[in-house]
Amino acid sequence: MSTEVKGRFGFGSFILFVLVVLGIVLAIYRFATGLASVTNLNQGYPWGLWIGFDILAGIALAAGGFVIAAVVHIFGGEKYHPLVRPAILTAFLGYLMFIGGLLIDLGRPWMIWDMIIFHHHESPMFEVGWCVMLYTTVLFLEFLPVLFERYKMSGAIRAWMNLMPLVAIILLVMFAWFLTHSGTWTVIIAAVLVIFELAVRGGAIRRDVKVPTLLIMAGIIFSTLHQSSLGTLFLMVPHKLSMIWYSPTLPVMFFVSAVMAGLAMIIVESTLSSKFFGRGLELNLLQGIGKGLSWLILIYLAFRGIDLVVRGVGAEVLVMTPQSIAFWIEVVLGLLIPLAILLTPEGIASGRGLFWAGLMVVVGLVVNRLNVAVTGISGGYWPTYYPAWSEIAISVGIVSLGILVYLTLCRNFPIFEEEHSQAAGT
Amino acid sequence: MKALLIDTVRCTGCRGCQVACKQWNKRPAEKTEFFGGPGYQNPKDLSKDTWCLVTYNEIEINGRFEWVFGKKQCMHCIEPACASACPVGALEKTPEGPVVYHKGICIGCRYCMLACPFLVPRFEFDSPNPYITKCNMCADRLTMGEIPACAKTCPTAAIEFGERDDMIHEAQRRIAENPSKYLHQIYGLEEAGGTCVLHISSVPFEELGYITDIPKQTLATNVEPAMKAIPAVMVGAALILGVSYKFRNRTRGEEPAARG
Repeated sequence: MSTEVKGRFGFGSFILFVLVVLGIVLAIYRFATGLASVTNLNQGYPWGLWIGFDILAGIALAAGGFVIAAVVHIFGGEKYHPLVRPAILTAFLGYLMFIGGLLIDLGRPWMIWDMIIFHHHESPMFEVGWCVMLYTTVLFLEFLPVLFERYKMSGAIRAWMNLMPLVAIILLVMFAWFLTHSGTWTVIIAAVLVIFELAVRGGAIRRDVKVPTLLIMAGIIFSTLHQSSLGTLFLMVPHKLSMIWYSPTLPVMFFVSAVMAGLAMIIVESTLSSKFFGRGLELNLLQGIGKGLSWLILIYLAFRGIDLVVRGVGAEVLVMTPQSIAFWIEVVLGLLIPLAILLTPEGIASGRGLFWAGLMVVVGLVVNRLNVAVTGISGGYWPTYYPAWSEIAISVGIVSLGILVYLTLCRNFPIFEEEHSQAAGT
Repeated sequence: MKALLIDTVRCTGCRGCQVACKQWNKRPAEKTEFFGGPGYQNPKDLSKDTWCLVTYNEIEINGRFEWVFGKKQCMHCIEPACASACPVGALEKTPEGPVVYHKGICIGCRYCMLACPFLVPRFEFDSPNPYITKCNMCADRLTMGEIPACAKTCPTAAIEFGERDDMIHEAQRRIAENPSKYLHQIYGLEEAGGTCVLHISSVPFEELGYITDIPKQTLATNVEPAMKAIPAVMVGAALILGVSYKFRNRTRGEEPAARG
């Protein structure tokens, strides 16, 4: 990334642009000729890099949005407010990128509407699909104030404040009905939400004047379910997924590791954007995030360790196989080293230490998701899957596009605190 | 519920079933090629055009090599993992027995392929308008009161079709009457919670290339607890978030409710 030209598009952006074009060309070729022309997928390995990286890892890394929104707007960590908008934007773009990746990976993406018409609510994939649709909607709604501020639409902000709780209730209740087809549960959920909103409007619970609390809550609930549902997907395959990763607790594990990676992503992204835009680094805030991150790594490590012991996994991680090596990369690079950095006083005190710890957690998370989706899967007698260069190029193109859009939006819209500290909004 | 009984002892490897399947389902022939690895059949494996395949296995029995023929096709599980996995219900278990594919609503996510323990569904990776393909137990013939094409055509009654319970009894009878000839096992009786294609054989099934390390219970049972927890998680999360919000630290950036 060009650091010498602060906040301007330079040579780095040009490279990103070229990568985007390459990705688009390959994607067009994929739609013209079928998946076989650009991927190494086969009948034994129907899922590959795109599911592991674009979708599983991409969504986990977008978790920063809901985590920081929860910390700031629900649990009272107001001092982290400057981090909210960049994180929401990252999450929103992350989800759009992921949807782009999904549409390329799906064999018949033009039939995606069938999810809305044909409900098979016992399928984890159905839950994933609806969480994607609804959480992306919520992220867009959470991002709206940025547009309103940019174009000085104060009336719109007021309407947004009043309307959003209702929208949030509708989305949540709709989701509950689709996923359970149970009238009782739907009514219970509707009742809880309506009572909360009435309490806020009636003054029993203090109203947050900046942001509709129910919208934030909807985002957190959809995210929680979405992150965990990606783990649920793999509960279906005890016969294919390696013992190292297959656990009945996969949904919980996916959720915890997503919260962890979301925090790491906030550190990484704040550091990079502060370099790029030449703005001050919110070091004291990032240290707080780093502290939270070290706790989450500890929790996740303990959880993983206990889970492995309880399930009696031993030889699988100790004998040298591609799977066990992949597992140890995930644990050592993604958990132990960053934890050591964060527990060292010098490590957590410096922006550099925080950045590297965060980056390693992010990489470790990506390795973990690839392990669950690809490395740990056995395709029987089919030849082992390795991603084709064109699969990698399409994924790289999607990420490059995301970075370019992020930088463009940050330049033109009030994303960072110093630019919007007076105005109302998320 | 109907089922097929495949008796590899009776099979002569004529591949009449393979041809009949192609004819009824209008699947084109495939260009065959040499390949390494187990089996001497051609084509090598199930594909988008080959839904039923007789496998040729040269197996050493009492010091002599003998041909034993296996049959690959959709196993039509009683509670199929593919149907549980499908987000839009494109794969459906019909009460009569067949697991059918409604191609019109498939979105191409391929979760069914990942879920299937028998590695059966095939995806048309080389098509810009791809579908999942697999045996459908000739569900269209069944509605006309006919039996599946493969069973109809088999000259040695190695493929029989009938009520699943009857097929189980028939398999048990054959094993009991010829205990030295048959392995005392019915493949498909318990695999993945039971299937509507049952196999009996003279040699262990793994020697025929069958996948044998398949969980005995329905695969969807692993997913059910997580799916059932969804509404409870929603209510729990809403309550926790609501209560936390009420009692949070409100030292900064807070004003009392202004509007009603």
